[in-house]
Amino acid sequence: MLQNILTDGLVIGSVYALVSVGMTLILGVLGQINFAHGEYYMAGAFAAWWGIDRLGLSYIESIPLALLIVAAISLVIGYVVMQRLVDVSFDAGIIATLGISLLLQNTATLLFGGTYQTFDGGWLEPVRVLGEDIAQQRVLIFLITLVVFGGLEWLVRKSPLGRQMRAVSQNIECCHVLGVDVRRVVLITFVLGTTLAALSGVMTGPIVMNVYGGMGEAITLKSFAVIVMGGMGNISGTLLAGWVLGIMESLVAAYVGLQFRDAVAFALLVLVLMWRPAGFFSTKARY
Amino acid sequence: MPGLTVVGRRFAGRLTSVCLVAAILVLLPLFANSYQLSTLIVSMVFLLPALGLNLILGYTGMLSLAQMGFFGVGGYTSALLAMHFGTPFWLNFLAALVVPALVAIPLAIPALRLRHTSFVMCTIAFVFILDSASKNWVSLTRGDMGLSSVPRPRLGLWSGGYVVHTTAGYYYLGLFLCALAVAALIAIVRSPAGRYMVAIREDETLAASVGGRTWHYRLAAFVLSAAFAGAGGSYYVHYITVISPTVFDPSYTNTVLVVVLGGGVGTISGPILGGVVFVALSEALRVAPELRMVIYGLILTTSVFAFPKGLIGPLFALWRRMLPSRERGSHAG
Repeated sequence: MLQNILTDGLVIGSVYALVSVGMTLILGVLGQINFAHGEYYMAGAFAAWWGIDRLGLSYIESIPLALLIVAAISLVIGYVVMQRLVDVSFDAGIIATLGISLLLQNTATLLFGGTYQTFDGGWLEPVRVLGEDIAQQRVLIFLITLVVFGGLEWLVRKSPLGRQMRAVSQNIECCHVLGVDVRRVVLITFVLGTTLAALSGVMTGPIVMNVYGGMGEAITLKSFAVIVMGGMGNISGTLLAGWVLGIMESLVAAYVGLQFRDAVAFALLVLVLMWRPAGFFSTKARY
Repeated sequence: MPGLTVVGRRFAGRLTSVCLVAAILVLLPLFANSYQLSTLIVSMVFLLPALGLNLILGYTGMLSLAQMGFFGVGGYTSALLAMHFGTPFWLNFLAALVVPALVAIPLAIPALRLRHTSFVMCTIAFVFILDSASKNWVSLTRGDMGLSSVPRPRLGLWSGGYVVHTTAGYYYLGLFLCALAVAALIAIVRSPAGRYMVAIREDETLAASVGGRTWHYRLAAFVLSAAFAGAGGSYYVHYITVISPTVFDPSYTNTVLVVVLGGGVGTISGPILGGVVFVALSEALRVAPELRMVIYGLILTTSVFAFPKGLIGPLFALWRRMLPSRERGSHAG
C-alpha cells in the first residue's frame, strides 16, 4: 500500500518537475515569472490529442508532432513577447504572461470546445517493478524525467549555451558588454522550457485521460510552488521539490482524503519554507 | 511666496478635477442604462480587493496573491450573518472587514518570515487552504453547492430600513463604499506609517536601520489589505446573492492583478482607472463572445508594451504637460 502511494507520488512529482524546470530556467534568464507556463503543458496534451483523435495518428507519432507544434507556438510568442520582457519591470511581466495565458487557454477552448476531451492513447499495460504492478506509461514518465534532468544538468553546467544561460541570469549588463546575445539566449531558453512543459503534458495525457482548456491553470501554480522549493534556477532542486510535492499529495490523498490534497500539500510546503525560506538548498535567505 | 502659490494652484486644480469626477459619477445613473451600471458595479467589486493589493504591493512591495481568499472569507461572513441572523448591511460589512483581518493575522506569522517569491508562494497556499475549507466545512458553507438566496443589503440601524434592490441603488452603495475605501487608502499612505511602508518597499534593511520595526508595518499592510478584500466580498455577495467556492478560482485573482498592475501600481488613481477600463473592456468584448477572452488576452499583453507603467502613466504625463513649465516636478499621484 505505502509503496504504491510512494511510486504514484514519484510519478506525479516527475510530471510536476518536468513542467517546472522550464519555469525555473525562464525565471533565471529572464527574471520574470511565466504565468502562462501551465498553458504550454495544456497545449502539449491538446496537440497530441488532436493528432490521435483528428489525424488518426498513433500515440508514439503524436508525441513529436505535439512537441513540434508547441515549439512553433512558443517560438512565435518568444519572438514577439518574451524577448521584449528583458527590459520591462517584474510587474509588467506578470500582466504580459497573464495575457498570454488567457490567449492560449481560450484559443484551445475556441478550437476544440469547452468540454472535456478523452485522451485515447499511451501504454497502460501493467508491468511488475519491485513487486508492484505499475502502468508502463508511469514507468516511462519516470525514466524520461531522469533522462531529461540528466541532460539539462549537462547542458547548463558544461555546454557553451549553458554557460551563456548562467551568465545572463547573473548579470545582463555584463553580457551585453561581453557580446553575449541576450535575446537569443532568452528565446532558446523559453522554447526549451515550454517544450519540456509540453512533453510533460503529452506524457501525462494517457494518465489523466481528460484534456480541457483550463487544465494548465493549477499546474502553473504548482510549478511555482515547486520552483520556490527547489530554489531559483536549481535544476536538481526542482526535481527533488517536484518529487516532494508529488509524494506529499499522494500521501494526503490516501490517508487524509482526496478533497484535502491541495490544501494540505500546500500547507506542508509552507512549513518547509519556514525551515528553508529560499528552498531546500539555500541557507542564504533573510528571516 | 511663489512656492505657496504653486502649491495652492496645484491643490485647486486637483480639487476641481476630483469634484468633476465625483459629479459625473453621482449623476451617471441619470444617463446610463442598467447594463452599463451593472458593469460599473462589477468594476467596484474588483476595485475593493484591488485597493488592498495596491496597498500591500504598491506601497509595501509585497506581492500577495491571497486577496481573493480574503474576499471569499468576507463574502461568506457577510452572507452567513445576513442569512442566519438577519443583520443589517452595516453590521455584515463591518464583520466582513474584521473577520478576514483576524484570519490574516495567523496566516501572516509564516508569510511575513518570507520574502520575494517564497512570500508569493505562501499567499497562493492560503487560497488553496481557504478554498478547501469552504468546500469541506459543509455544515457552515454547504460545500460546493455554496450559499444561495443571500438577502439583499438592508440599510437600517437595526431592524427595518431600506432594502437595496435596484441597479442604481447598488451603484450608489458601491460608490459610497469605494469612496470610503479610497479615502481610507489615501489616509493610510499619507500617514507616517504609510511613508514607512514605502521605505520598506524601497529598502527593507535601510528602513529597519532607522529603528522602525518593519515586521509590524508589514503585518499592518497585510491585515489591512485583507480587510479591503473582505469589504469587496461583502458588497459582492449581497449584490450577486450567491457565493460558492468558485470565488477562490485563480482567474479572479488574475483579474485583481490586472486591475492593479494594468492600471498603475503604487498610485491612488491607477487601480481606479484600471478597474473601470479592464472590466468595461471585458464586457465590451461580449460583442464577440467566442473571441472575447482571446482578444482580452491579446490586449493585456500589448498594453504592457504600450503602457509600461500602467494606464495611468500617459495620463500623468498629460497632466504634467498641462501645468505651466515652472510647476513641473515629480508627481506622486
